Amino acid sequence: MTDRDEIDVVAGEFVLGTLDAGERASVAARRQREEALDAAIKAWEQRLGALGEAVPPVAPDAGLLSKIEARIDARAMAGPLTDQVVTLERRARRWRRIAVAASALAACLLIAIGVREVTRPQTAGIYTAVFQKDDASPAFLLTVNLDTRVLSIRAVAAQPQPGKSYQLWIVSDKLGGVPRSLGLIEAKHVPVSHPLPGYERAVVETATFGISLEPAGGSPTGRPTGPAFHAKLIAASR
Amino acid sequence: MTLQKPAEAAGAGLVPLMRRVAERDRAAFAELYQKTSAKLYGIVLRTLRRRDIAEEVLQEIYVQIWERAHQYDATRASPLGWMAVIARNRALDEVRRKRPVSLDDAPEALQVAVDAGDPLDLLEQSEALQRLRRCLDRLEPDRRQIVLSAYYDGLSREELARRFSHPVGTIKSWLHRSLLQLRDCLGQ
Repeated sequence: MTDRDEIDVVAGEFVLGTLDAGERASVAARRQREEALDAAIKAWEQRLGALGEAVPPVAPDAGLLSKIEARIDARAMAGPLTDQVVTLERRARRWRRIAVAASALAACLLIAIGVREVTRPQTAGIYTAVFQKDDASPAFLLTVNLDTRVLSIRAVAAQPQPGKSYQLWIVSDKLGGVPRSLGLIEAKHVPVSHPLPGYERAVVETATFGISLEPAGGSPTGRPTGPAFHAKLIAASR
Repeated sequence: MTLQKPAEAAGAGLVPLMRRVAERDRAAFAELYQKTSAKLYGIVLRTLRRRDIAEEVLQEIYVQIWERAHQYDATRASPLGWMAVIARNRALDEVRRKRPVSLDDAPEALQVAVDAGDPLDLLEQSEALQRLRRCLDRLEPDRRQIVLSAYYDGLSREELARRFSHPVGTIKSWLHRSLLQLRDCLGQ
C-alpha cells in the first residue's frame, strides 16, 4: 500500500467505526497534529455520509430538549470560558503556525499577539487570550472584561511548578514599551479573577500580554526573567 | 414510518437556522432540535441500541452542536451531515467505551439489528447515496454486508469477526481492501 492508502484505510476505519477504543483515541489524537490524516477523515465523512440518510428517524423522549437546555445553562454558569475551550482547541493548528513565526521574536521575553488581531466579541468589552505551554496544548486562558475591569485566568494544561511562580505581564508602547507585572497567577483549573489595574481602555485594548515562569514569589528584577509562554489573543467568540 | 425525502434530508432550510444557532439564538436551537433530533436519535439508537444510553448521549451531542455551531461551514457539508458526524463520533466513542449490549449475552438484540435489514432497500435516495450504492454493489456481497454492518450497527472488527464467522485478520484486510475500492470507485 502507498502512504496515501495507509492513511486512507486508517481514516476509513475511523469513520466506518471499526476501530477499538484504544485505536479510536489514538487516531483522534493524531488527527489534531497530522493534517493529512484529518483531511482523509473528512473525505471519508463526505464519502460515507450519505449512508446516514437511510437510517429511519426515531423520536426521542419529549422531555429531552429541556434537559439539554438545562445542561447548556449549567455550562454557561460554570464560567465564561467554558464555551470557548472547544473553539480554542480547534484553532490550535493556526496558533501553532503563528507561534512558530512568533518564536523567532521571542528571544528571552514574551510573545504576544496584538489585540488588533481580535475582533470584538458579542459581549462587548470581553477579550480572550490563550497562553500556550508548547505547540500542542493551550496552557492558560485569560479573559479581560473591560466593562467590569476584571481579568480572569484559568489553567488548561499548565501545572504548578515546585519552587516557581507564574507571572502575568502587560506590554504597551503607551506604557513605555516595557513589560509591567499584572501579578502572580495560580495554575488552577477554575477561573481565578484579578482586578485589572487602572490602565485606560485604549491601552488595554492595544496591549500585548504574556506569562513567564519566575522564581517563587515573582520576578526578582521586576522584568520577566524566566521562560515565557506564547500568548495568543483571540476573539471570545466566533 | 415515513421517511424524509432526500431534499428534506439534505436540510437546505437548516443553513439559516445553523447561522442563528452560531449567534447563540436559543429559539433557533430549539427549532433545530425539533427538526433534526429524530434523525440523529435514529442514528445513535441504531448504534447504541439502549434507549437510556442513547438519550443520554443525544443530550451530549446537542450540547456539542450548540457549542460548536460557529464552526459549521455551509460550503463543506449540509447541517444535517455535519450534525450526523458529531452524533456518530460520539455514539461510536460510547459503544467502544462500554458495550451496552453484549452480542453474546443478548442475541435478541443482535436479531433486531439483523431484522432491520438493509436500510438501503428502503428509501428514495439522494444522488450521493445512489452513487455510493453503485460503488458498494461492486464489492463482493459478504464484504458489502460487512461494511454496512460496521457503519450502521457500530460493530468493531472483533464483533464483525464473530457475526460473520471469519478471523479478525481476514475482516481487517477485507475492510481495508473494500475501503480502497470504494475510494477509487467514488473518485474523490
